[in-house]
Amino acid sequence: MPLRFHWSLSQVGDKFRRANATTEMKGLFSLEEQIAFCRAAEQNGIDSLLMAFGFTRPDPLVLSAALAMATREIKFMVAVRPGVTSPTAFVQQINTLSALSDGRVCINIVTGHSPHELGYYGDCLDHDQRYERTDEFLAVCNAFWRRNGEVNFKGKHYDIRNGKLNTPFVSRERTGPEIFLGGNSDLAEQLAIRHAHCLWRFAEAPASLGPRVARILARGKEVGLLVSILARPTREEALRDAYSMIAALSAKPEKFGKTFAERTDSVAYRSTLRLAEESSSDWLTPWLWTGAIPYLGAPAIALVGSNEEIASAIIEYKMAGISQFLFMGWPDLDEMNYFGREVLPIIRREEREERKERKSHQADGALAIGGA
Amino acid sequence: MASDPGSASGVQDMSSMPLRFHWRLPYAGETYGFARTDQARAPEIGLPDPAAQADFCRQAEQCGIDSLLLDFGFGKPDPMLLAAALGPSTEKLKFIVAYRSGLFAPTMFVQQLNTLSSLINGRVSLNIVAGYSPEEQAGYGDFLSHDERYARTEEFLSICRAFWEHQTGVEFSGRYYRVERGSLKTPFVSTERSFPAIFVGGGSEQAKRLAVNHGTCWMQLADAPEKLSRGVSEVREKGIEAGLRLSVIARPTRDEALRAASELIASKPEGERNLKGESDFIKRTDSVSFKAAYRLGEKEWAAPCLWTGAIRSHGSTAIALVGAAGEVANAILEYGRLGISQFILSGWPKLEEMVYFGKAVLPIIRAQEAAVASRGAIWSD
Repeated sequence: MPLRFHWSLSQVGDKFRRANATTEMKGLFSLEEQIAFCRAAEQNGIDSLLMAFGFTRPDPLVLSAALAMATREIKFMVAVRPGVTSPTAFVQQINTLSALSDGRVCINIVTGHSPHELGYYGDCLDHDQRYERTDEFLAVCNAFWRRNGEVNFKGKHYDIRNGKLNTPFVSRERTGPEIFLGGNSDLAEQLAIRHAHCLWRFAEAPASLGPRVARILARGKEVGLLVSILARPTREEALRDAYSMIAALSAKPEKFGKTFAERTDSVAYRSTLRLAEESSSDWLTPWLWTGAIPYLGAPAIALVGSNEEIASAIIEYKMAGISQFLFMGWPDLDEMNYFGREVLPIIRREEREERKERKSHQADGALAIGGA
Repeated sequence: MASDPGSASGVQDMSSMPLRFHWRLPYAGETYGFARTDQARAPEIGLPDPAAQADFCRQAEQCGIDSLLLDFGFGKPDPMLLAAALGPSTEKLKFIVAYRSGLFAPTMFVQQLNTLSSLINGRVSLNIVAGYSPEEQAGYGDFLSHDERYARTEEFLSICRAFWEHQTGVEFSGRYYRVERGSLKTPFVSTERSFPAIFVGGGSEQAKRLAVNHGTCWMQLADAPEKLSRGVSEVREKGIEAGLRLSVIARPTRDEALRAASELIASKPEGERNLKGESDFIKRTDSVSFKAAYRLGEKEWAAPCLWTGAIRSHGSTAIALVGAAGEVANAILEYGRLGISQFILSGWPKLEEMVYFGKAVLPIIRAQEAAVASRGAIWSD
């Protein structure tokens, strides 16, 4: 299977995501710019765009509906936080979006990482209870998507009796959306195995990632990597841009990533931040850079290097079992255009060659058997 | 009347404002109108048909219709997302999205509605209903009784209104909801208002109170004018508008209208099935106004132009003004004189009835309003 690439839609136009305190974000956006971003993504071979959820942003479902009407191919990976909606109403919204977009919707389950923000939504459960609720939430959603008649469910957090919906998940390929789930904790892993198709993990060196990935693959699920990217024609240019970015950021008084770390209860965020702190340099591998994490938070762990370096890093992750990537860039549009033009063609070429090689191996194998 | 701008009451004089007309958006495949039993069965209703529905939106705009009502129910697509998809096809038309409390956290609901407002330039209003079918609510995981649903909706709208007022630092601790320092960055975007118009529907005392406390317009099902006047004055004295939900069968002559009405209910065998379906539904609903409307359906007419003959087969919103264009216009103007200022209408067939209303009924109403306004101007001179 060819690797699949997704990108985060920069919803509020903040060039350096999380560089600003959340109080400075404005929550308004230009629809035209967003549509242009979607079309650029389509041209660059991007599979879907992550529509994030948070109090500083517009609602991802409503925004996706508007964007779907103006695009033809791009999918929308809608972030959902159980606990802010009845699962039945959520399925109704996702199914409506699928019908409007001809199935171009998948979902990204986030269990929430800031207890502070969760309170804005009236959600006061702790980390483990939130996972337990997400478990039930997905069980209900998947029951609707299995289309086995009326849905009945009785759990600790939800009680659904004779649930039915007329609006089905509309798609030529599937009866329910592809489900992505993010998290580094064991709970997240178990949840992904039970209900999702793909688990997102923050990037770390392929060698340390390998064993965990293998465990999930063995259960028939995919593993994807959430990582920022900074590719330039040469390694020197990439390094120069990376360091000049943090030089600009360090002029700001607040190290946002650090303050955030103290407030989050997300295992993924904390472990990535720890990775950055414990490392003796800013480099976990020659191309995996942690230098921006103190300023921009855990998602700023980044692939940095020349086109070829980054393409081969991605292939190396593929060898470790990673099959999907969710990228962020600084800024997103430029980086995505560059990736589509310069890096992706290298990856696709390697994939084609690899397939050819495999075919000829198979052919050799068949001959050998035939000759025996 | 109280047109003196210096009047300290703060209550707007709504009698001089033109009446406003809204129409219900038909669902995919719904050209003639489905009875409730068909709605539950017809899977196509669940699928949006953006092309046909956008066409209906444009026609509504041309007909002088203010907004389209997008219902909420298990059989239908989600109204908020449908509005986001249809909004860009029009410029002036508004969308009234119907919701119940108990489906979304209020913070998230405000975020969705604000996002929608920013996409379509504030052309969105809210219709809050407390829900009418305990069975349907159970499918959404909601098991509260009629009165508790109203109590929860009170809390829900309090929180929504707080977000629309402050956007940040929203604190609420109630029986059903809790919000801690709630903050949202996407505001309600509109050139006209800081929060959406809120239609609160329902015939019960709780509904009326909810409308007065948190809404901008109390909606009820139509009935004879004399039966409505007390409730209407009551909410208007409290500073909100009163509106009616009803259907219309207007034709060039009264005879043609009566014929169209009897054809609507004559069709067999669906007729029998619809009667059974609706009576089963009424047994199970806990809605005060649906039950009251069903009782009205015992007789054929509630007032000279107010036909109740389709209620028992087509549901309570099928209570209809039936008559020649002029008769229907006059009946509406009579409601207007009572103080009812907004109307959510529907008809059969869906599109043709709206087009005829815009062409033949609405001009009579507007001419009459203009005449009254000019008389008023002479008096105040």
